[in-house]
Parts: sequence; structure tokens; C-alpha cells
Amino acid sequence: MDCVVSVEGLRKSYGERERLHGISFEVHAGEILGFLGTNGAGKTTTIEVLEGYRPYNGGTVSVLGVDPARATRSWRNRIGLVLQECELDPVYTVRETVSIFARYFRHPTNVEATIEAVGLSAKIHDRVGQLSGGQKRRLDVAVGLVGDPEILFLDEPTTGLDPLARREMWTMIEGLRAAGKTIFLTTHYMDEAQHLADRIIILRAGQIAAAGTADELSATLGYRATVSLDAGPGLDVDQVGTALGRALGASGSAVHFTSQDVQADLTTLLDWARDHDVQLTNLQVVQPSLDEVFVRLAGDAAGEPEEAGR
Amino acid sequence: MSDLSLALAQTRFALRGYLRNPSALGFTALFPILLLLLFNAIFHGVTVFNGTSVRAPAYYTASIISYEIMLVSFSSLLVRVTTNRERGLLKRFRGTPMPSWVYLFSEIGRTLVVVAATVAVLVAVGAIFYHVTLSAHLVAGLVTYVVAGVFCFSALALALTRLCQTADAASAIGPLAATILAFLSGVFIPVAVMPAWMLDLGRVFPLEHLARGLQSAFLVPGSTGITGVDLAGMLAWGVAGLIAAVRLFRWEPLGTGAPRAQR
Repeated sequence: MDCVVSVEGLRKSYGERERLHGISFEVHAGEILGFLGTNGAGKTTTIEVLEGYRPYNGGTVSVLGVDPARATRSWRNRIGLVLQECELDPVYTVRETVSIFARYFRHPTNVEATIEAVGLSAKIHDRVGQLSGGQKRRLDVAVGLVGDPEILFLDEPTTGLDPLARREMWTMIEGLRAAGKTIFLTTHYMDEAQHLADRIIILRAGQIAAAGTADELSATLGYRATVSLDAGPGLDVDQVGTALGRALGASGSAVHFTSQDVQADLTTLLDWARDHDVQLTNLQVVQPSLDEVFVRLAGDAAGEPEEAGR
Repeated sequence: MSDLSLALAQTRFALRGYLRNPSALGFTALFPILLLLLFNAIFHGVTVFNGTSVRAPAYYTASIISYEIMLVSFSSLLVRVTTNRERGLLKRFRGTPMPSWVYLFSEIGRTLVVVAATVAVLVAVGAIFYHVTLSAHLVAGLVTYVVAGVFCFSALALALTRLCQTADAASAIGPLAATILAFLSGVFIPVAVMPAWMLDLGRVFPLEHLARGLQSAFLVPGSTGITGVDLAGMLAWGVAGLIAAVRLFRWEPLGTGAPRAQR
């Protein structure tokens, strides 16, 4: 089965307030889907619907061919979860923790190999309470993997981790990708999604604002570069504007315009300058990072915090 | 692996965790022994029970055992389950193929084992230091009341987890409820010196029935202490607790204390 998750028109309300306004997407076998959004965008609501924790109000949802709202035990044998907030009991060792969870599943993986996969072999006999924040989070991933799931849900696996622990988590997730795991990953870091995900969905205020690979997002998503140059002698702003097909803005002694197709616009600009024998000075192209694109895109949702749903 | 063997494995796992938790051990194992020694150091001699003169140390052995049953099955269970819920552990368990009953079985199984072990220690202390004599009647009464007590107080604890938004709240409510009921039920103060209205009030609650039943088993020669009134008083609370627990129990964090934050 190529399509592991299939969501069509998913709606979810808490009381009067609708949080997800009919979103649709798919997760394919063997890919890491990055589900990106600010706090309150509806990421956790979505992942909890997929995990079978939340009923939903409209649309169709299928995970491994099953509606999660009718989760069965055999279906739970096939999925792996890493919740956003879960504090594993500090009195047990790493090995004991993974071992007890392994017993819940019909076809668990090897406990030592799973601990190895998350890079905790050296800590296997340590108590959970002695682990660092990043190590605890990776143990949490081991617990999510020990049932040998066909899809792993990772809800903000690096939130609250220091940069080094974050890098270690990334390395570990890259290892899972190499092993062919299908992963649904939520995050509010664009660089994380860009680094780990095969495809990215940007969620804003309960709607999908954009979707695609990181490159596609860069290309399509108002990846508007700003071109600026000095309004030097001979530069006829109106003529240039006519040539480009849009008006130029001015700030101080410089003029600028935004461009979706930088190559074409620069060609037009340079051709004009050559034809009119004008020397362009201080010509600059500033391209926004994907992070800026995300902030611009997701920023509109600010001030609409999502309630802790139940 | 069958579900029953999974349930037993989960129970062993819970017991191992209990043995590694110094505060739980101190509170449920050491504290009652200390209480027994302290009460008997203060009130030695005799008191009156059911119109006859009885040894105070035997009275307190029975009383502290009833208190211990409530401490483990109510206070400690309340704290443990609330803590696990607020940690997000119960939610995580629910996301695995483990059946829900396995978790509840393991917690109540752990409770029963801890109660049995600590009650055995308290009986041994009574036998060694306070002239408590073991008889078949006494053992029959003890077993009956341990089982009834664990059932009643565990059911109430599971229902009351719903009122505890945080582990801190559970840590306050659990011991407080046990201590107040202990005063109302003639556990700490002999019934002979308690005001009648207070005994009447205590009779509404299950600890009074557990304490009275156990005191009869320990103090009345040839009696198991098992009475219909006392058993019914506990089972009624237990059944009510069970019904409430089925309706009220939550597997997901209730929230305010947990680092819940963003979604």
C-alpha cells in the first residue's frame, strides 16, 4: 500500500470553535512528511486525530486503511507514537522501559537493537531519571519504535531541546529514514522540516497554507526576491518600470522592485541599461530564506491560540 | 503472550517501581510501623471495646492495620495514578495495543501485594511485641477485610483521580482524607473516649467499618470480626466508587499542572 495516511476534508471543532477547516493530504510509504505550523495552527489536533485520540467532525481519515476514530487493537499494533508531552517513569532503566513496552505489541523489534537505533546503548542500564532531556526524548522514540510500526507519529520531537540535542535527534531521524520508516513529523521549525522531511505541509489557522518539497515551496511560495539598485544618473524609473511591467518603489537614493522570476527580470533590466548606455550601481538581489517565507505565511495566525483539546 | 501473563508482567513491573520509590516505601511501609510503635508507647495499658476491657496494644495493632489498608489502597494509589496520568503515561499506554484493563489490574494487583506484605509485618510486630495471638478466626477476618478494603478504597481512589488535577493535589487529598477519617473512625483515639456524635458521623464512611471489623477480629476471642453491617458498609462504598470510576476516569492529563503549553 503506497498511501499510508489519507485525509480528505478533515474538520474538527472544540465546542463552538472549529479548529481544522477541512484539510486534505496524504502520507506515502517510506516518506517523512513534515507538518509545519506555529503554535495553535492545529498540528497537534491533526496528529491526535490520526493517532486515534480524538474524534473528528467531518471529512474522511484513513491510517493504514483504518479510520482512527474506530481504532482497534490490531491497528494499534501497526502504529508507533511519540507524544508531545510524556514523561516516562524515572525509576526504571532504559532497558526496562523499552522492554515493558515491547510486551504490549504482537511483533516487537529487538529491544537492544531499538535502543541502539536511538543511540542510547551506552545508557541501557541507566535509570530514566538520570538521562538528559534529549536522551529522554530519544528513549521516547525507542518506545514508539519497539512495536515495529508501519508508521511513526512524532509530535514536535525537538521542542525544548538544546541545539546539540536537536542535532542528535536529527541524526537519529535520518537513520530512521535510511531504514525506510514512514514518519509523520510535526514541528514548528522550518529548518527542521527542510532538513528531515521529504515533503512539507504548512498549516495555518486550521488550513493548509502550502504543501510541497522544500524546493517546491521555495519556487512557488511567493519566493519573491527583492531587487534594488541606486537611482543613479540616467536611470529612468518610469522607463524601467514599463520594461519590467511593474512600478518601482523608492527608498532614499535607491529604487527596488520585487521579482518572482529574478533571471528574467534581471535580463530585462540589464538589456535596458545596455541599450540606454546606463551604468547600474549597487545592484542587489535579496532572497528571503525559507524561514522568512514560513514566518510571513504563518504569521497571520498569530493571536489565535488553540485550546488544549479534550 | 496471553493478556493474563501480560497483566502479571505489568504488575511485577509496577511492584519493581514501587520498591525503587523511597517516598512511597517510607509512606506506606515505614510510617505505619512507626505509628504503631508511637501509639503503643503513648497509650499502653487497657481500653474498653464492646463493653469489655482489652489491651491497648492489640487495639492499636488492629487500628493501624485498617489505616494502612486505606493509606496504600486509597492515598498511595490516588497519588500514583494521578501522577502517571499527568505525566502523559496513561495516554501513552492507551496508544499501545495493551488493553486498558491490564493497566488497572496491575495497579490494583500491586496495591494488594503491598497491603498484604505490610499488613503481615504489622501483624508480626503485634505478635512479637504486643501479645497479639494468631488464630484461624483472626486470619479469616484479616483476609476478608484486606480484600474488601483494597476493593473499596481502590475503587474510590480511581474515581477521585478525576478531582485531582495535579499530582500535588493528589498528594494533599490522599493523606488528608485518610487522616481525618482515621480520627472519625476510632483509629487513632480509642472508641471508648470518643464523643458519640463523632462515631455516628464516622459510621457513614468505610474506614469506620474496616477498623471496627478488624478490631473485633483482634479483640473479641473466637470471633472473625466479620459482620454483615461492616462488609456492607465497605462494599456499598466500593460499588459506588467503581461506578463513579467507570464514568469519571480519564486517561489523558487534566492539565493545569502539566507542562502542557503549545499545540
